[in-house]
Amino acid sequence: MNAPAARRVAGIVSRGVAAVIDLVFVGVVLAGLYVGLILVRLMLHPSSFSFPTVGVVFSTAVMFGVAVLYLTACWSVSGCTVGAVTMGLRVTGRHGARIAPARALIRAVACVLFPVGLLWVAVDAHRRSVQDIVLGSRVVYVKP
Amino acid sequence: MSDKALPPAVTVALGAVAGAADGVAVLYRGAEGLPVLGSWLRRTRVELQARGERVLAAGIEVILDELDLNTLARQRLDLIGLANEVVDGIDLPAIIRQSTDSVTAEVMTDVRTQGERGDDLVSGFVDRLLGRERDQR
Repeated sequence: MNAPAARRVAGIVSRGVAAVIDLVFVGVVLAGLYVGLILVRLMLHPSSFSFPTVGVVFSTAVMFGVAVLYLTACWSVSGCTVGAVTMGLRVTGRHGARIAPARALIRAVACVLFPVGLLWVAVDAHRRSVQDIVLGSRVVYVKP
Repeated sequence: MSDKALPPAVTVALGAVAGAADGVAVLYRGAEGLPVLGSWLRRTRVELQARGERVLAAGIEVILDELDLNTLARQRLDLIGLANEVVDGIDLPAIIRQSTDSVTAEVMTDVRTQGERGDDLVSGFVDRLLGRERDQR
């Protein structure tokens, strides 16, 4: 962060793999929540227990909430999600600093609602996604 | 420790014998330098040395043949106790932790390097496709 000018911007492969890892992570969190729900039901109604069925709208809303919360927290706290740590990446502002929580929230919503925007990284001369262009963020390599 | 255990008379006697042996050796080495007698003395010494080495080697061989080291070790050593002591001395968790850490770090570095190489490959391909100058990022 002290020498942001020296950092190279990450490309589509690293960011794509990081996104897939994050997707898997959100899936694991959702599975954990579902198991938690089962255990709570089993605890409250042990005699009439049945596996809960969750509606499409409910599960989509929960997935959206978990994903946005996770991405916002990671980007505003350290700039790194689990996928980004694995691939050695960090989300920064235009000048290399961490992005503000509000901007992180908007970016997270944009990324979850419009994930295809990531594909623009492959075409853009400065390796920016649609969200990066609109919000002025960058994803750079973090060298150990 | 052994000096204090032995009586002074014995140590004095041992010292005198060692000194006398050194004196004889010096005298003999001096005598080897004499014109006629010297070469005979040197030859005799070399032959005696060779013979002594042969006798010593044969003696050691006989002693080793007579000894059953496996039985001796079983009878005189607490092998299980010794093994337990050695195993206790090895910090196995630390060794496993260290090796796991280094393997993980290597894998992570490799994955990141491959990702970066993939990024450059795709960028290069798209740049060529669009007829763009490279290294703009």
